[in-house]
Amino acid sequence: MFEPQIMSFLCKWCTSAAADLAGTSRLHYAPNPVNLRVMCSSRVDPQHILYAFKEGADGVFIGGCHPGDCHYVEGNYKTLRRVTLFKRMLDDLGIDSRRLRLEWISAAEGKKYAQVMDEFTEQIRGLGPLQLNENALMKEEEKDE
Amino acid sequence: MKGQKKTKRIGVFVCHCGVNIAGVVDVEKVAKTLTDYPGVAFSTNYIYVCSDPGQQMIIDTIKEKKLDGIIVAACSPTLHEKTFQEAARLAGLNPYQIEIANIREQDSWVHVDKDKATKKAVKIIKAHVEKAVRNESLEPIKVEVHRRALVIGGGISGIQAALDIADHGYEVLLVEKNPSIGGKMIQLSETFPTLDCSQCIMTPKMVEASRHPRIKLLTYHEVESVSGFVGNFKVRIKKKPRYVDAVLCNLCAECEKVCPQIVPDEFNMGLSFRKAIYMPFPQAVPGTYTLDAEHCLGLNPVRCGKCKDVCEKKAISYEMQETIFEEEVGAIVVATGYDLYSMQALGEYGGEKIPDVINGLEFERILSASGPTAGIIRRPSDGKVPKSVVFVQCSGSRDTEKHNPYCSKICCMYTAKHAMLYKHRVPDGQAIVFYIDVRTGGKAFDEFYQRTIEEDKVLYIRGKVSKIFKDGDKVVVWGVDTLTGKKVEVEADMVVLAMAMVKAEGVGDLLRKLKIQTDIHGWLAEAHPKLRPVESLNAGFYLAGCAHGPKDIPEAVAQASAAAAKVGDLFAQKELSHEPTVVPVDEDKCSGCAICITMCPYQARTLDTERGVVVVNEILCEGCGACAAACPSGAAQQRNQTDDQIFSMVTAMMKG
Amino acid sequence: MKVHYYPGCTLKEKTTALDVSTREAMKCLDIELVEPEGWTCCGAEYPLTEEKIVGLAAPLRVLRQVREENGDFVITTCSFCYAVLKRANKAIKDDPLKHKRVNAYLRDDIKINALTKEKTTGFEDYNGEVRVLHLLEYLRDHVGYQKIRSRLKRPFGGLPIAAYYGCRLLRPAKDMDLGEPDDPRLFEEFLEAVGATPVDYPFKQECCGSYLSVSLPDAATEASYRVLRSARSNGAAAITVTCPLCFYNMDRRQDKIKEAFLDFPGLPVLFFTQILAWALGVEKTVLGLNQHAVPADDLFRDAPAPEVTL
Repeated sequence: MFEPQIMSFLCKWCTSAAADLAGTSRLHYAPNPVNLRVMCSSRVDPQHILYAFKEGADGVFIGGCHPGDCHYVEGNYKTLRRVTLFKRMLDDLGIDSRRLRLEWISAAEGKKYAQVMDEFTEQIRGLGPLQLNENALMKEEEKDE
Repeated sequence: MKGQKKTKRIGVFVCHCGVNIAGVVDVEKVAKTLTDYPGVAFSTNYIYVCSDPGQQMIIDTIKEKKLDGIIVAACSPTLHEKTFQEAARLAGLNPYQIEIANIREQDSWVHVDKDKATKKAVKIIKAHVEKAVRNESLEPIKVEVHRRALVIGGGISGIQAALDIADHGYEVLLVEKNPSIGGKMIQLSETFPTLDCSQCIMTPKMVEASRHPRIKLLTYHEVESVSGFVGNFKVRIKKKPRYVDAVLCNLCAECEKVCPQIVPDEFNMGLSFRKAIYMPFPQAVPGTYTLDAEHCLGLNPVRCGKCKDVCEKKAISYEMQETIFEEEVGAIVVATGYDLYSMQALGEYGGEKIPDVINGLEFERILSASGPTAGIIRRPSDGKVPKSVVFVQCSGSRDTEKHNPYCSKICCMYTAKHAMLYKHRVPDGQAIVFYIDVRTGGKAFDEFYQRTIEEDKVLYIRGKVSKIFKDGDKVVVWGVDTLTGKKVEVEADMVVLAMAMVKAEGVGDLLRKLKIQTDIHGWLAEAHPKLRPVESLNAGFYLAGCAHGPKDIPEAVAQASAAAAKVGDLFAQKELSHEPTVVPVDEDKCSGCAICITMCPYQARTLDTERGVVVVNEILCEGCGACAAACPSGAAQQRNQTDDQIFSMVTAMMKG
Repeated sequence: MKVHYYPGCTLKEKTTALDVSTREAMKCLDIELVEPEGWTCCGAEYPLTEEKIVGLAAPLRVLRQVREENGDFVITTCSFCYAVLKRANKAIKDDPLKHKRVNAYLRDDIKINALTKEKTTGFEDYNGEVRVLHLLEYLRDHVGYQKIRSRLKRPFGGLPIAAYYGCRLLRPAKDMDLGEPDDPRLFEEFLEAVGATPVDYPFKQECCGSYLSVSLPDAATEASYRVLRSARSNGAAAITVTCPLCFYNMDRRQDKIKEAFLDFPGLPVLFFTQILAWALGVEKTVLGLNQHAVPADDLFRDAPAPEVTL
């Protein structure tokens, strides 16, 4: 069975804390997502997302605080704007924008986190491996240093 | 973007956490797999790394193996990050070279498949190695603190905050734009629920503030501008010319007698008059007269001069000028208070054109023994004692269509108080209150309200008032009693509107100067609505009183004291210590596009127009990284979470 | 100059005084009023109900016709018609579903409309292009009070007149956009321009009773009484209206009002266009004063303003 690779960017104050809560609550969910903790979801650059797809991610997840609750006031709004626009670019680039998911999960929502991880994993499993055309990617030696 | 991989020696310590991790993740296999990973000089597993022996083992290993960075693969960093940072420090390692890899809450505790959980743990740890290899040693940013506070606003909140900060032992500048401190509270007659005489309980505090050795009382002063940052503010303050020497003035009042100019008295809400040279109220602090240049016949050239002639103390001088001076402070408490929503906005209630339709503060002055009617309740138009008074709650509050959507909090209580006091003084009068709800949440509040109904026989009708207009001698009030479903029409002698509280007039300009955040209604924004109610997100600014939002006196005092305590926290530190994981600017790469400046919620970034690069105030930067993500050239990189680090972590997580 | 004008049905039947005085007054300002071909009833309120979208076809057909006749705007004097036409425009601008449906009805309508006597060559959706202006607004913004003042033949000599807005003209404020409902100036400025003195009184927008005069006449009687009494007790010699229904309730039913409220001596009710026409020099006989139940002739005299006893 195809096991999707999922790159997960979680904000320290909300979603990563929710992931911790899911752990403390011993909730079980798919092992596919691997978490990178950032201070704020607004740290996530579309470059990072594209890079993740290039490195083998079949899906990319970003978790941030609910609007109005951002520890840094408005970071999540910035993330929302970026992701909204970037999804359109992804489609244009030939990457199904459903492979990128932005979700607001607060520190108290451990259960929601587990559910979303399972949901997203299954969704990506359904979409299949990304299979970026290997020929479209520059070979390591050709890259400019 | 490739960064330089320093040849570092990273140590990996995989914790069993008893069976919490080891029961699912094959910790030995993980430790072994990491041994060969580039950058790893040592890799081991241990049963409980957080234990004393565990930590000692880490300290010893760091020294022995000359490690310059470590990964502790264990539980969530929220639990033991500080513990291990301490341990590392004891081993002579910079705390920012420690990485905590969460393989428990986010791995062993949530996955069932041992093989997959083990593989995931390897990926996570490899990613942290990639990060660790690129980590810089960092020191917290130290900034010194001027242990001196500025309090803007001399109402009850400002006074309370100033007194508390001064009692802590620090100097306080208390700036008040009016000739005297006292704010709105000094205008009140009696306060709920005790019916304490407002002036009696407030004047001792006012006097204390004026006499306190560490409080510099700056009345008739205004804040011109603020620059700098927490611990190091530079404030420019304008001193307005009073034309009277506050020290020499002995309050003989001879000047007032001869002044020909008559001005509506703001203290009495325009219900009486004062002279151009005046004392706002008898208990004014400082106790001095003030010459209001705007209403004086003329000072340049002098057109009248009578007041100066009769002043025995020679306290009056027309040559006084406005001066601006600079002060350095470390913390600023904003206590600028509130104003009442203008009755002009409520056309359906007469739009301020009906003399006998007044607001709560006007009624307070009428109730006050030192007010325009010497405490006898008389209506403004003809001085008649009103035999029927209607009180309308929620005038301009709780209105999402045209006015203010929020609840002004204090009106239910002060309306009950007003109705009660009216009935006490005019026992044969009729008091009717139109309400939507009666909110009596404080201590002894509901009991007070019940007294109003049961003992003082005030009639409460649940319904909004749709129209108020004048008909001959009477003021007609059209309302509805929603509990019986009937329209109610009252011919009253006087109407008191509980007008909404709004942000203080003119405060918008000041707040822009302070660059402090407000909400859409102009109330000061707190750092967190639940957990940080007295600080602004702008470091160094504290909030007190109604400037933050409608509240009553006990809450204002509590908040003022809390703000003072927070100022105390700030000043208690030898130096301010700020997380260094901020986002500096690589000036070689910065093109001065200024995109990052707009990203920052803390105004930490500014454009140096001369050099064409962005400059970061590292003390204000909170390290969210929003600017780093937006920077087109990569000039803005977050310390110890650079793009290079993120890329390498992603690779490790996807391909490890 | 020719300007499109929508009189509305009542002005052709029950209150021709409003129509005639309007035309005569506008003639004095060199404006010829042109009615859109084959106009029909505006629907009087019912087009604005949420469910019956077909009702919008009535007012929008009129506006579309104005557009077909190359008109950018249409003026009207009846505040009911004004409100319906204006809000119908907004309804299709705000709601794409209504826009689609109403244009479908209009399209059908055009096919069978024999009045134009033309074969339909094409149908362009009506999108709310035609602006609806009340004559008071037109006088203020397009003619200008300066021009009116310069053409006055018989200034009113400061006669105190109460301006009655009624319910339709200013509300809902967002749709009608004619000023702050609680502190309006539109009608008062008009009165000042023609040399009358506007009277301030608190009932200028309280309901006259509207259609209740048919179904619940006592309520309508009391409602109109309150308006008239307030105007009079604040010193008005007359009250002026801009709606045939208000006129009906306050003038034609004034005898009922006097019967029910013995303390009310009476108050003449005028259309504002009669005031305008007279002030611009139109002959008294053409103002339609014979249609009034309450005699108003005395107000129109060359002599100075009569004494007003309260």
